[in-house]
Order: sequence, then C-alpha cells, then structure tokens
Amino acid sequence: MSTFTSPADTIDPLTSHENHSVRSRGRRRGGRRIGSSVFLVILAIYFVVPIWWLFVAATKDTAGLFSSPAFWFDGDFALFQNIAELFTHQGGIYWRWLGNSFIYAFAGGIGATILAILAGYGFAKYRFRGRSAIFTIILGSVMVPLTALVIPTFILLSQYGIINTPWAVILPSLLSPFGVYLMRVYTQDAVPDEMLEAARIDGAGEIRTFFQVALPLLRPAIVTVLLLSVVGTWNNFFLPLAVLTNEQLLPVTVGLNRWTALSNAGAGGEQVWNLITTGAFISVLPLLLSFLFLQRYWQGGLALGSLK
Amino acid sequence: MTATATIVAPAGRAPRERRSRLDVRRQRWGWLFVSPFLIVFALFLIFPLFYAFGMSLFTTGLATGTQFTGIGNYVKAFTDPLFLEGMLRVLAFAVVMIPAQLIVALIAALVLDSLVSWLSKASRLLIFAPYAIPVVIGALMWSFLYSPRFGPAGTLFELFGLPAPDFLASGTVFYSLVNIVTWQWSGYYMIVIYAALRSIDPAIYEAARIDGANGLQTALRIKIPMISSSMVMVITFALIGTLQFFTEPVVLRNIAQGAIDAAYTPNMYAYSLAFSYSQFNYASTIAFSLGILVFAGSFVFLFLTRKQSGLK
Amino acid sequence: MKRKLLAATGVAALAAMVLSGCASGSAESEAASCTNEIKVADAPQVSVWAWYPAFEQVVDLFNETHDEVQVCWTNAGQGNDEYTKFSTSIEAGSGAPDVIMLESEVLSSFAIRKALVDLTEYGANDVKGDYSEGAWKDVSSGDAVYAIPVDGGPMGMLYRQDIFDEYGIAVPTTWAEFEAAAQQLKDAGAPGVLVDFPTNGRAYNQALFAQAGSVPFDYDNADPTSIGIEVNDQGAKDVLAYWENLVDEGLVATDDAFTADYNTKLVDGSYAVYVAAAWGPGYLGGLSDADPDAVWKAAPVPQWDTANPVQINWGGSTFAVTSQAKDPELSALVAKEIFGTEEAWKIGIEEAALFPLWKPILESDYFRDLEYPFFGGQQINKDVFLPAASAYTGFTFSPFQNYAYDQLTEQLYAMVQGEKDSSAALDDLQASLEKYATEQGFTLK
Repeated sequence: MSTFTSPADTIDPLTSHENHSVRSRGRRRGGRRIGSSVFLVILAIYFVVPIWWLFVAATKDTAGLFSSPAFWFDGDFALFQNIAELFTHQGGIYWRWLGNSFIYAFAGGIGATILAILAGYGFAKYRFRGRSAIFTIILGSVMVPLTALVIPTFILLSQYGIINTPWAVILPSLLSPFGVYLMRVYTQDAVPDEMLEAARIDGAGEIRTFFQVALPLLRPAIVTVLLLSVVGTWNNFFLPLAVLTNEQLLPVTVGLNRWTALSNAGAGGEQVWNLITTGAFISVLPLLLSFLFLQRYWQGGLALGSLK
Repeated sequence: MTATATIVAPAGRAPRERRSRLDVRRQRWGWLFVSPFLIVFALFLIFPLFYAFGMSLFTTGLATGTQFTGIGNYVKAFTDPLFLEGMLRVLAFAVVMIPAQLIVALIAALVLDSLVSWLSKASRLLIFAPYAIPVVIGALMWSFLYSPRFGPAGTLFELFGLPAPDFLASGTVFYSLVNIVTWQWSGYYMIVIYAALRSIDPAIYEAARIDGANGLQTALRIKIPMISSSMVMVITFALIGTLQFFTEPVVLRNIAQGAIDAAYTPNMYAYSLAFSYSQFNYASTIAFSLGILVFAGSFVFLFLTRKQSGLK
Repeated sequence: MKRKLLAATGVAALAAMVLSGCASGSAESEAASCTNEIKVADAPQVSVWAWYPAFEQVVDLFNETHDEVQVCWTNAGQGNDEYTKFSTSIEAGSGAPDVIMLESEVLSSFAIRKALVDLTEYGANDVKGDYSEGAWKDVSSGDAVYAIPVDGGPMGMLYRQDIFDEYGIAVPTTWAEFEAAAQQLKDAGAPGVLVDFPTNGRAYNQALFAQAGSVPFDYDNADPTSIGIEVNDQGAKDVLAYWENLVDEGLVATDDAFTADYNTKLVDGSYAVYVAAAWGPGYLGGLSDADPDAVWKAAPVPQWDTANPVQINWGGSTFAVTSQAKDPELSALVAKEIFGTEEAWKIGIEEAALFPLWKPILESDYFRDLEYPFFGGQQINKDVFLPAASAYTGFTFSPFQNYAYDQLTEQLYAMVQGEKDSSAALDDLQASLEKYATEQGFTLK
C-alpha cells in the first residue's frame, strides 16, 4: 500500500471493482446465475418475512390481528386509524417516546463519535507511554457483561442526581470502544505522518493540525462511526429500562415493551396490540430508510474493521 | 514511517535533545486527545466495574447482614449447577449459532460477490435490514410469529397436512432462539465479509481462471483464505456476543416461562439474581465469572487462529 | 464542504444536548415529572407509584379534596417491572417513591430489606376496622402493619353457560364434579377443554393448594431470621395429584397464562371455565375478539368438601410507605385515604374493575347489588365474590416469594412435561426452597 494515497480511494470497494465484474459478467454461465439468483431471492424472503409481517400487522386493528391470516391484509385497512390512535392514546405519549429515541440516539451518537474521533486520533498518531495497554483495555471492555455494570451505574447516576433524566441514558452511551478501534485503524492509514509533520513544520499547533489536516481525511470513517453509534443508542433497551422511571422519558423500545407487558396482563381496556405493531413498524422506519440511503457508508465502513 | 526521522535529524541541533522535547510534547498531546474518551470510560466502565467487583466479594443473606467473603462467592459460582448449566448452554448456542450465521453470511456474500445486478443490490439491502430492528422489537415480532395461535405456522403446516410444531416447547426453544439470532445478525456479518471479498485484487481471479479453476474452487481455495482475517474478527465478536446471550431469551421468556427458566443463560442468571431475587452481590459474582470465561474463551480462540487472523 | 459538514454536525450535537438538557431540566422540577396535574401548587407533594387502570381519576379526586398534600403519581411499570425498579432504588439508597403499590405477596420480601415503614406508628390501626380480618392479616406481620389494603382477589369460577348448555353439563360444585364435567366435555368431542392449568400460574397455583389446607410458609417479620417451609404437605400433594391426573387424561390444557395466546383462548371458547379472582371479569371484559355468542356466568369455586368450604384469594394489592419517604406521616395519610372514599371506589369499581377491600363500600348495597352486563346482569358480587371475600382468612407469604414462585413454575413445568410426578415435584420444590433459605441465613423452623 503506498503511503501517500489516501485509503479513501480504496475504501469504497463496492464501486471500485464494479468494472471488473462487468467485464467478467458475460463469462458466467447462465445456469449458475439463475441458481444464485434463486438462492438470493429465497434468502431475501427469509430476512424480509418478519418485516413484511410487521407492516401487515400495522394495518390491522386489534380484533383483526387475532382473526386474520398473518401474512396478508384483512378487509379493513386500519393503518391510518392506528396512527391516529397513536396520537390520542395516553396523550400521544408514543410520539414523545419516538422523539426521546431521536434525542438520545443523536446526542449519544454524536457525542460518542466525537470522543471516538479524538481518541482514535490520539492513539493513532501519538506514541505515548501506556498506549498499547490502554488500547487493549478499551478493546477488552466489550467483553464485560452489561449486567455486571447496571447496578453500579445506577448507584453512580443516583449519587450525581441524574437518575431518571435524559443524561442517565446519554452519558453511558458516549462509550463506543468499537468506534475508537475503527477510528484508530482508519486514522493510521488515512492520515500520513508526513502531512502532519509538514503542518507542524509550517508552524501549525496540534489542534489546528488536527482540524485542518487530519479531520478532512477522516470523513468516511466518521460517518460510519456516527451511524454505528446512533444505531447502537437507538436500539438501546436495557440501560434506559433500568435508569428511567418517568414514562415521559422512555425511548420507544422501552415504551413498546411496556405496552406489551400491559397488553399481556390484559387489565380492562389496556390491550393495545394494534398500537404496538403500528408503533413498532413506525419505529423501525427511520433506520430502515437510513440504511437505504446511506448504504455506501455502511458497507464501506464495515470494511475498515475487517481489513485490519 | 522513516520520513519522520529524516525530517527531524538533519536540523543540525542535538537530535536526542530535540526528539525528547518533541516526545514529551507528543506524549502530552496524545493524552489530551485520548482523555475525553478516557474520562467517560473511567466513569462509566472502570469505576462501575471496580464497584461491581467489590460487591462480588461480599455476601448479603436476606436474613443475615452483609459480610465480606472474598473468593467465597466465586467458589460458589463455579460450583453452582445453574451457572455451569447456563455456561454449557451458551457454549452449545455458540457451537450451533455461530456456524449458522457464518455459513449464511459467507454463502450470501460469495453469491453476491459473483453476481452483480439490481437483484444482488436489492438482496444485499434486504438481508442487512434486520440489523435495523432493535433486538427487543425483533424478539417481539418473532414471539408473535412463533405463537401457536397467531403465527403462520398453523396455516403453513396445514397445507402439508402436518400439525404445527410448538416452537416454544423445551425441546424446540433452543432452535427457535438460534433462528431469531441468525435472522438478526447474519446480514451484518454478510456485509463485513462482502466488503472484505470486494477488496481482493481481481488479478488473482484472472490468474486462477487461467489456471483452470472454476467458480467453486475459486471460492474455496482463494476467496475464503484471503478473507480469513475478517472471518476471525466476525467469529470473535459473535463468540463474545453469544456467550453473553441475554435479550432474546428474556423477551421470549414472557411467552415461554416453562421452557426458558430464570437461569437459562449465565447473563440471565445474573439478571434474575439481581432484579428478581435482590441478590446483588452474587449477581455481580456471576456476571464477573461470565466475563472471565468470555475473556478466556476469546483469548483461546484468537490464539488458535493467530495465523489466520494475522495477529501476532 | 467538509468543514460545513463538521460545523453542521457540531451544531446538531449542541442542539441535541441543549434540548435534552431542557427536557431534563423540566423533568427535574417536581410538577412536570408527575403524570397527573397538581391542583394545589404550594402544598407538599407525596410521590406515588401505581399501575391501577384509570388511576389518574382517583388521584385527581384526592388532589381536589386535599389542600394539605398533593399526590404526584407515576406509573413505574406493572408488577415485576415496578418491583425491579423499587428493588434497585432500595439498593442504591435513592430513587424510591414515598408511597408504592405492592401486591400483598411481596410485602415480606421488601419488609425484610427494611424498605417499608411500619404504619402502626402512623395511625394504621385507626383504619383497621375498615378491612376484613383476612385482608388485614395479609398486610400485617406480627404487630407491625406494612401496608394499607386496597383491592383483593377472592376467587370464583367463571363459566360459559352456552357451552355448558350445548353439552349438557351441570355447574360443578365440587372438584369431583369438576373432573366429571371435564370428562363429559371430552367425550362429547368438544373442540375446547374445560379449563387451563397454567404452570406459570404462581399465586393461582398456590391458592389452589391453599384451598386443601396447605400452609406453605410460617413467617413473621418480627422474627425475621426464622422461617417454616412446608410446600409439600398433604394438602398440596393431593391438589397437585388431582391436576396431574387431569393433565394426563388430556382433560385440561397446559398453556402459559397471561400471554396473547391465552387471552384469546379465554374468550373464544377454547376454555369453558376460567377459575378467576374478582378482577377476572374486568380482565375478560377487556379482551378483544370475544366470541359474540358467549354467555358468561359466575359461580362459587368448586370445593373439596362441601361441608367445610374454604375460600381462597388470588392477588390483591396494597399501598405501602417506603423507608425513603421524605415525610412518612403525610405519606401514610395518602396511603390510608387515597382509596378511602366512596367516590374513589366508584371509579375503582366501574373503571378499573377492582374488588374493594374497604368495608364501607364492600358491604354497601351498591356493591352487593351491582349488576354486571358482561354476565348478563348477574349480581356476581352477591352470588360469588362477597361470600368468598368474607370467609377468606389470609395467607402468609415468604420473604423470597419471587424465588419460590419461579421454582414452583419450574417444578410444575417439569411435571407437565412428564419428567416427574406431582409428589416428586413438590418434594423437589421443598428441597430447593429449604436449601435457598439456609443459604440466605434463615433458620428453618
């Protein structure tokens, strides 16, 4: 690998080799292609079936859910009624939950990304004592079972008086060891030492060097780490479940779980299966859509970790 | 890397002196950049970890008070049949689930690599889609699909004239869970493997083709070995995740209380101890014991695959 | 371009943090963190955790009629979800509410961790006369009173009159007749069974055993370190053997209770009988997709010996004052009075389908003569639940009831799967509970 070309050129392997595949495409035997295609279709169906189920379920009301076949619509297309009911049930708390998820995910995700960028840069470009040891500890932290940390984290957050507030969810979410790993690996390749030295010789301070030289080169990895952190915090369940009591502060995962528990217990009038399915469907839409439109970054970024 | 040394040295001044000043400066800046992360890391991971470890050294009986028991809890944990059973179970899961996810991911990635069309692009997205679903909601969805009443199993199996299987019986719930995890994670691993495949220099394929290798041979002899490092990474993360198996069995337990007991996996055991039985000290011990075993397991695995993964 | 992206990201992050800071700021202030509205702004507030349906109306009623204290209510989850939070905040030393809704079965578990205040110091005995003996026993331990009773679960048998009529089944009054009815239903080739036997019934299973005289636990919070355990006494064994027989003969179902599947089967005729607590009718009524031709009626629960009927109870909740309460006296006042008026109980009965333990309404003509449209106008309280409630003598739970129930579920499941017989299941349960108690430092009586 040459030292001066930025890996950004090679980091999107999807497009760069497209030409070769086009050339070789004609040589594939048609039969195998059909076999492969059929296989892909079957696989895709397997992965999509539950999501399709969710969509179909979201269009039914509660009675319809329990009486009509699982994979096709019943007579009554109730999607919009369900959505309307989401606005009125418990004062529209669902949308509050959805908003909470957005806030936690973005605040936590952006914060985690910033910390990861800084730390990754520090690990990659500065040789300081204890660097390897600390980095290994950070990587090792993914092996710590979450259940070990919940009670002490709860106690710590209580002591500081931020239990049952958004900070209780956001602050612990700022940790992304995998993000630090990705940023370090990428920074090592993408930001040549020579450029940093050149900037330093030109008289730039470390901070200016970081912002003006290094950061622009790190863009693809930044987007990937951002996406991974946002998704991680968005899907977070156990932490908010433990530290939040106020119903208004719940993210949508915990909120839907609570509605499910209520509906299972079935006390009069609390069965809201139609809202659960519709709510679940709406809550997965933002991520699904972001996957669709930001494919490039996903797939490019995940390559980073795998190449090292 | 040598460029650095060549810039510093010819300045004419005493190189050692200048380098050490630079070193000190660099060291400080290194720490500075790393410190925001480290502060949060210390606060929300290291400190709670030490606290939890401290908790695991004490025992609180419901009837007695809290006493220091040191290693006693750990001895209890490693001789606790519930913990050991749970460990065996997650190992069984690892043995079944990881190859399952890997095979699906690998075959899908290989097929996608050899096929470029709108179909492959669409499939790529669809296969990856379950990753967008929070684990809790995914498990909720599957608990509906597994339901003897509301799931499609009844109608589907009727078509073949067979009775619908009970997905939540004690014999089948293991495979039902394997299915959920495979569904959720294979796409993610597929993308990682696919990206690694895409970075292989196509000249190698040309050489192989010239040598007369067909598609299958290319796949087995060239592609797979060349992506072994990313496969090792995938397996390591899957191993760590599987040994800590928690969310899916907890969610499914709501509808299968008999088949999935409170100590089904070690992580669930720790959770039940803490939150159902208020035994916080022993819960910490179990969690730590699990962590120790996960660490040992990963270490052993990485050691055994050090050639493939390229780590030294 | 890249700098703009960075700048935009930075601004977004800042905005998100500020917004969430605002949200947390407003959540910090007491008023905004209550689900209900505070009516008197400068009165001291008592925080309450409860999950009763329609509870907001009861809270509003209290706040409108009390100037000296206001209730700040949050629904912190149902059952175990709430208990988990409570347990964690006890361990952490903060975060618990002043007053908390607890089912009577978990009172010992929290009392032993010193999480509950003994209400006798705050005038609990003033209201003792408003509750039946059985109800009061459930909230007391020795001389201490740990909570004020709210609602109870005296048990009866709800049955599908239309199914009984279709197959010519007489309403059973004894368990022997019950078995015969189940057999009759099966012989007639009915699509459903008579009843479900859930292995995760927990308190339900326990109540069935109690009806045959089983007294599984002997415990008193005044002497907290010793406990008597006898879960495998003859009463329990007889009852379990009875149900084991029904399961083996295929006369009953063994589905888990409280799942979507179970709920549907309750209302679509898969089960002809629902042996239920007094809150059962509300539960049934709230389930959707009910069979429109269903005709439900209530009858007393079958007996083992009609000469000596035994009434049983399933569930029931109370209000306790926690040890983290800022003002225990005010909190005790809230606990005593929030469900201590007729008006509050009208809401509780009509909107939340609760069964009151408060005598003034329990023994009123209004409640006794209440006609339930769901049962075709039957006065189910007069016919079934009032006699059940008044003859109920109370029950003693262990201070590790959650664990005991989990173990019970495991053993029952093993039995139903055919791994062991009923006697062995109970013996194993006894052994595991004894072992657990000893480990926890209890001395076995």
